[in-house]
Amino acid sequence: MDRMKILLVDDEHEFVTTLAERLELRNMKVSIAMDGETALGIVERDPPQAVVLDVMMPGLNGLEVLEKIKALDPKIQVILLTGHGATKDGIRGMQLGAFDYLIKPIDIDELIEKLNEAVKRMI
Amino acid sequence: MNDSKRKELVFFGKITAGITHEIKNVLAIIQESTGLMEDILAVTPDEAFPHKDKFHTSLKRILGQIDRGVNVTTRLNRFAHSPDHSPASLDLNEIAEQMVLLASRFANLKHVVLKSSPSDPPLVIKSDPVYLEMALFESIEILLNVTGSGGKITLSPRKIQNKCVVGVGCEDTVLSEEDCLAKITSSERWASLQGTMAYLGGTAKAFGLAPEILLYLPDAINPK
Repeated sequence: MDRMKILLVDDEHEFVTTLAERLELRNMKVSIAMDGETALGIVERDPPQAVVLDVMMPGLNGLEVLEKIKALDPKIQVILLTGHGATKDGIRGMQLGAFDYLIKPIDIDELIEKLNEAVKRMI
Repeated sequence: MNDSKRKELVFFGKITAGITHEIKNVLAIIQESTGLMEDILAVTPDEAFPHKDKFHTSLKRILGQIDRGVNVTTRLNRFAHSPDHSPASLDLNEIAEQMVLLASRFANLKHVVLKSSPSDPPLVIKSDPVYLEMALFESIEILLNVTGSGGKITLSPRKIQNKCVVGVGCEDTVLSEEDCLAKITSSERWASLQGTMAYLGGTAKAFGLAPEILLYLPDAINPK
């Protein structure tokens, strides 16, 4: 079975690199980006199956990046990461085409479950 | 509350809420790092690492504290957003649970347990969040001086004669009914609570037997 191809986007370097390591231990192929522009570059060059995308980022915010990803390839599934008190961002994201949203800090098992569901939808 | 007072509260709230997001990011990094250590331990054979159990126990403890930190910062974040809108639709169960968590430190210092007993169905009113939280906190502070060490204070939203009420009651007081009532109603906090409740368009009543303060709240506050 092919390894799931994921892109993680978050401006917190320690968070994104550690989460990437954990997902790689679970046999996923993970790229990381710390801002929206870099993420969009990766999506164009080497499209992932799913993107895990933080909403609150400097520069392009997560919702803007989501819209651009969907414009580039509507099949790519996006899971948003929001903070507490920012549930409305998650709901807005789903209106813009996000698969789902999770509240940080996240539970790795829940994230993997969402990723599996998201990729199934892509197929 | 006048506009300039609300502006000050919104400012403090905005800064506090921003900091809670930063704390959450810190907790998220600690959680992922702890999770990564657990992942690695899980694939390490027992014989290759004799202290595996001790590491598991410590990592579990760290994860437990992360949960605690997330819970507190989530409540603090909601509290910080309290001044954003007034009047706002408020679920009394939510507000009671929130105040239990935020005021627990003050109760712990007196060895008193705070808890909430939710109403079913939940009661929702239109009120001023800051003043309602103040009224609950003032009631808790009053009862902390009535109940003894080892006591329990319970916040219980409910309907009494078709009116929305939050009861703040305590157990294990050593005082008589009269002494208890006198201690509640003679405190400076009681006078302050009356003012807070007047702002909310409600009233506070105190009972000495099975000491309890009942906060009667209107379904909707008049805009001020």
